Amino acid sequence: MTKRIFRSIMAVSLSVLLASLVLIVGVLYGYFQDRVTAELAQSTAYIARGVESQGMDYLSGGLPEDRRITWIGAGGEVLFDNWQTAADMENHGEREEVHEAMLLGRGTASRYSSTLSQKTVYYALRLSDGSVLRLADTQYSVWVLVLQAMQPVALMMLLAFCLALWLAGRVSRQLVEPINAIDLNEPGDEAPYEELSPLIGKIRSQNRQIQRQVETLRQRREEFNAITENMSEGLLVIDQETRVLSHNSAALKLLGCQRPVEEGESVLALDREAGFRRCVEEALAGRRREELLERDGECRRVFASPVEQDGVQNGAVLIVLDVTEKEQREALRREFTANVSHELKTPLTSILGTAEILENGLVKPEDIPHFAGNIHREAQRLIGLVNDIIKLSRLDEGSPAAQWEAVDLYRLSRSILDQLAVAAEKKQVTMTLEGGSALARGVPQIVEEIIYNLCDNAVAYNHAGGSVTVTVSDTPEGGRVTVRDTGIGIPREAQGRVFERFYRVDKSHSSGGTGLGLSIVKHGAAYLGAQVTLESEPGKGSTFILTFPKIAE
Amino acid sequence: MRNKFDEQLEKLHVELIQMGALCEDAISAAAEALLKGDEELAQAAIEAEREIDQAEREVENLCMKLLLQQQPVARDLRTISSALKMISDLERIGDQAADIADLTRHVGLPNGSGMLHIADMARAVIGMVTDSVDSFVKKDLDLARAVYAADDQVDALFEQVKQELIDMLAADATYGEQGLDLLMVAKYLERIGDHATNVAEWVEYSLTGVHPSNN
Repeated sequence: MTKRIFRSIMAVSLSVLLASLVLIVGVLYGYFQDRVTAELAQSTAYIARGVESQGMDYLSGGLPEDRRITWIGAGGEVLFDNWQTAADMENHGEREEVHEAMLLGRGTASRYSSTLSQKTVYYALRLSDGSVLRLADTQYSVWVLVLQAMQPVALMMLLAFCLALWLAGRVSRQLVEPINAIDLNEPGDEAPYEELSPLIGKIRSQNRQIQRQVETLRQRREEFNAITENMSEGLLVIDQETRVLSHNSAALKLLGCQRPVEEGESVLALDREAGFRRCVEEALAGRRREELLERDGECRRVFASPVEQDGVQNGAVLIVLDVTEKEQREALRREFTANVSHELKTPLTSILGTAEILENGLVKPEDIPHFAGNIHREAQRLIGLVNDIIKLSRLDEGSPAAQWEAVDLYRLSRSILDQLAVAAEKKQVTMTLEGGSALARGVPQIVEEIIYNLCDNAVAYNHAGGSVTVTVSDTPEGGRVTVRDTGIGIPREAQGRVFERFYRVDKSHSSGGTGLGLSIVKHGAAYLGAQVTLESEPGKGSTFILTFPKIAE
Repeated sequence: MRNKFDEQLEKLHVELIQMGALCEDAISAAAEALLKGDEELAQAAIEAEREIDQAEREVENLCMKLLLQQQPVARDLRTISSALKMISDLERIGDQAADIADLTRHVGLPNGSGMLHIADMARAVIGMVTDSVDSFVKKDLDLARAVYAADDQVDALFEQVKQELIDMLAADATYGEQGLDLLMVAKYLERIGDHATNVAEWVEYSLTGVHPSNN
């Protein structure tokens, strides 16, 4: 802008200067031409007087050579010329100025001289004898005069030009300076020029708008970050070149990446397992994909979806979930289903086989009670199993339709021991109840189920002549039932697993039972909020300690 | 222009990661195939080897393009030249994994505790390959140096396996062919360890500008 203004000012001043120059030259030229002609007339008159009195002698008597002097006879023949040889010259009678002088006494002309081949000014004067004296001066002399006069003018012009140069620079800078001084980020209320006020106003309002939008965007981003940071699922957004655009810390944690993600880093630098790579590739190729990654016993499920904008794919979103627990549960469930089918099938096969033998009449009548007893026993086992499964699934659902009430653990234990007396006698196991009354809050059926199962196990997995001691006590932590036996015990490596469904230390199933007893204990205790701990030594016996939560006063 | 260069460098990085990951897949599949006698895994290792060859050519092309079109200097030049060296080591790892997979098709691991060390060796080598690729991905100098240390361990394991095989053959010559094949497997594993070390060395070179073999 400064340059533009400077150039404009310079152009204007230059044209003014040039115009005045032309004007001055024009005026000066006219003036000097007049002067040259006047001088010529004067000289001619002066020389004419000399010629009148002395004739040819005067002319040839050393007149200055700076002007051409021609004396032409009345007939037009050249009598004398101080620049040329007179005899060689043609008749001048028809020359404009000569002709004019012959007619009118004097004549002037300004024309191209064929003799001198120059633009020439002529002045002719008729002498008394009818001859004509002519003086000529070149136009060139006019120009010399003009130029001489022009010298100071040109100097002035040069000065004026320099002044214009300096002023133009200064003025243009001064004009532009306030515009440059405007702070575009925060333009003041006052515009330096009135013409700029709408512009400044517009900038101000747009600045405000931009600030508002930036603020909104920042807030949105913070909200988005807050939400994604609080997600337990890992979220990764990547572009078509697998660069991470956005991520949350859960994603890094789930992918096992300890360091922060660098700007523009590839997602494959975070995890390059085959499954993960397939997900990324497929999603970037525009297909959804889901993969399960397993590593160090941890399971991650990755969902990858392509991101499309206006029909053009430009990235993918990856969601990483921790499914370790789910997968473990799934595995347990599968194991449970397989176990249940197996456990249900065993007695049924036995029943089926026995029934078939009976049906075919292959059994002697006296053996029938034995076979029938077999069927009865197996059917009972089946019912026991189904009952246990029902109890377990009720506990799983967590909704036994039962009332919570205070249960006297001592009284309950007494009745359980009575129920088991027959079985204990059969195994030659002595059962004793120690301690005193203790109260616990719970669902009586479940509490009974738990203690019954513990005592039942203590009898079942005992040696002949062994003992079972049930101790009920009221501890500061709450009511406690301890079931100690002198049985076969549980090996250390199996102690963690005995509470699993269908887990048996003795794989041969020789000891009977459904394999669900301790599982019912565990789930029941969990339902009631009670703790079960196990201490056991193989060959010496096991101790189960059941501690109920303290009853709130 | 520079922006495009950075983009291409990043692409090179990603492709190297992918190639490294493929090598990890190949060697784990080959080792699993060896230890479990799984025909399908052996096939997977051989497939992976083909992909690795493909990846090597791609990375090579990319490197050449970068060298010719961008004329990189200093650190970038180091990155690209070490990438060129690294891919040939990675490609060798893939080849040897495929060779192991090929051998496992007719060598079952005999039941016996004597072979336990070949499993240890396979695990150690897989760890080395993973660490060398990791050191590249994470630009982790310490991890790269840990790979050199692991190589000594693998060499020691190789000696041990060799001795075990000698003892086995001395005791019972009927396992002759199997014993020799297993020795080759062990040798391949040992070579893979060396290549993993080379990769780690090139990682160090690209990071520091000094190749460890010059010290």
